[in-house]
Amino acid sequence: MPHTLSILLQNEAGTLLRVAGLFATRSCNIDALTVRATDDPSIARMVLEVRGDVPALDRLVQKARRLVDVLEVEQSPP
Amino acid sequence: MNAQPNPPAIHPRAGQPLTGAEVIVQVLADEGVQMLFGYAGGAILPVFDALYRHNATHAGEDGREPMPLVVPANEQGAGFMAAGYARASGKVGVAIVTSGPGATNMVTPVQDCMADSIPLVVVCGQVGTAALGSDAFQEAPVHHLMGACAKHVFLVTDPARLEATLRSAFMLARSGRPGPVVVDCPKDVQNAALRFHGEGELALPGYRARLRRSDQAALSDAECVAFFEALRRARRPLLYAGGGVVAAGAAPALRAFADAFGLPVTTSLMGIGAVDTRAPLALHMLGMHGTAYANYAVEDCDFLCALGARFDDRVCGAPDRFAPRARFLAQVDIDPGEVGKVKPVHWQHVGPLARALDRLTAWGRAHGVRPDLAEWHAHLARSKRDHAMNYDRASPLIQPQAVLEAIDRHAQGRAIVSTGVGQHQMWAAQWLAFREPRQWLTSGAMGTMGFGLPAAVGAQLARPDSLVIDIDGDTSIRMNAGELETIARLELPVKVLVLDNGGDGMVRQWQRLYYGGRFAASARPGRRRDFVRAAQADGFAWARRLDDRNALEQTIAAFLAFDGPAFLEVAIDPDACVYPMVGPGASYAQMVTGPHIASREAAAPLAAAGAMF
Ligand SMILES: Cc1ncc(C[n+]2csc(CCOP(=O)(O)OP(=O)(O)O)c2C)c(N)n1
Ligand SMILES: [Mg+2]
Repeated sequence: MPHTLSILLQNEAGTLLRVAGLFATRSCNIDALTVRATDDPSIARMVLEVRGDVPALDRLVQKARRLVDVLEVEQSPP
Repeated sequence: MNAQPNPPAIHPRAGQPLTGAEVIVQVLADEGVQMLFGYAGGAILPVFDALYRHNATHAGEDGREPMPLVVPANEQGAGFMAAGYARASGKVGVAIVTSGPGATNMVTPVQDCMADSIPLVVVCGQVGTAALGSDAFQEAPVHHLMGACAKHVFLVTDPARLEATLRSAFMLARSGRPGPVVVDCPKDVQNAALRFHGEGELALPGYRARLRRSDQAALSDAECVAFFEALRRARRPLLYAGGGVVAAGAAPALRAFADAFGLPVTTSLMGIGAVDTRAPLALHMLGMHGTAYANYAVEDCDFLCALGARFDDRVCGAPDRFAPRARFLAQVDIDPGEVGKVKPVHWQHVGPLARALDRLTAWGRAHGVRPDLAEWHAHLARSKRDHAMNYDRASPLIQPQAVLEAIDRHAQGRAIVSTGVGQHQMWAAQWLAFREPRQWLTSGAMGTMGFGLPAAVGAQLARPDSLVIDIDGDTSIRMNAGELETIARLELPVKVLVLDNGGDGMVRQWQRLYYGGRFAASARPGRRRDFVRAAQADGFAWARRLDDRNALEQTIAAFLAFDGPAFLEVAIDPDACVYPMVGPGASYAQMVTGPHIASREAAAPLAAAGAMF
């Protein structure tokens, strides 16, 4: 089932790679990925459409929430 | 946690012009760093030069340097020394290495610290910012490599952010769930002309918000009521303590909590020392090679509370069959990602362990909670006696367990012990007593062979007055054998014990069990290393090999009593196995206790008693 993740992160070199890498390397396919700065230019929003089984995805979301430069992870459907 | 975590309100050097390298050294000093581990190279020379000058100008009257640098044989050694220092002291370990190979040699210790939640700060040199991405000499993608395994990595490209970045690295390493933080520092940033501020950290809004949330988390009355309601109904409660208890400094709170309500405690490999292993209600380690009585207690318990423990696959290989009779599972952890990750729980709390435990103790006391657990205590006492650890005491060959018993008689649970990885590590975990946390230093979640020797160096430097023993395997020790020379050079009184079973014992144990006894890669016929001569060549004045079991007691006594570095190789039974064993993916009901430890099946009356539950 496709899931959409919306992730707020610090808008810095390396952050994008770390977050996307988390999903790309763990049997979770990324169908679409967009990143853009928010009104606060120091913060970016990344939107990922991913496929993977739900427990694996939940684990990845927990891992993403642990990343130092991640502010928020929202998952839909949760 | 370090000696001087709070620099004075206005830093005496605030406003001074410093180079980037001098800024790095000053921040290290401000963070209370008292010992550095590192290896030089072109891309980090400015930092080492600034350190040299700092140590020369700030040396004490006795010539003592404020931040002595310990140089290993290999950067991996520096990483594990810093980790051993951190594990034994509770302070942040610091390692400084050069770019390229210096940094890549540090990947293993960084991943090891991440896996065991050990606070570490690594400063790496890097090629100049203009050369980044040009395949320059000794350029490695540190940001990518370390980003995948560290708690966090910074590549400092803006010299103005260097000071705040390094200070933040310490905050990240020690706060929340501790871990390793890498600061990748291009050479031109080290040489930049800066003005020192003496204060300031990076914003890190997401991390700080989460930290604030968990730091402020407090157990409500309703949560305490629910916890004690379940405990009141329980007849066979059990606490399962992990490395988080040690990391959080929560051992005293755990002991007070367990004592207040008479709760027995089993610990994971990383949790050893959280309670005094000699206490009547301490069941020692659980899991794949846990004691039979700890694993039976997990089978029997009707209430299980995990504290700073994560149900990893060496403890909980079959999650759906783990603690099958537990009607109530509780978990307290600093990391929300660990709660319910493996095993769904009925009650949970995310926050600092010591505070949660203090609160539960106070609440239970105030409400007169006094569970009557006499029957459970009696059952556990019987189980400890009937399923006690044991081994082949009649064998003419030296048994590894006998060596450890002899060490224990001298050390009395007071030694700091590091290990390699394999059978010797599990025997040491099973057979040695530990009175306090931070005495047992082992590569738990990564299982990195070669950890023992450098970790012992770091531990001895952190606690110079303690007896530090590296209990190593004959193949693990070779992975960082270069550090034998470091021990002798620094004249550290580390005791290095090699349990020599002629190879990769743990690999052979698995090959015997699961691969029809085909010793692929683990049988290495031919010439063997002469450890004693190697140790002597490296400068060990006391180096012996023991093959006669009758000389065991006196040899161990002389070994431990020697005033200086000592090396002892003990030729042990090459076929000795680690028991009990719960196979990978198996449940505790499938535990094999081996030929010398009574299982429940063997002791029929007890099996019946177990079945009663
Ligand atoms: C760096 C590394 N490589 C490989 C392994 C796999 N491994 C686990 S235990 C072991 C054998 C260790 O032999 P030794 O140090 O002699 O200990 P013993 O089991 O014989 O006591 C090996 C190869 C590992 N844990 N770490
Ligand atoms: Mg061996």
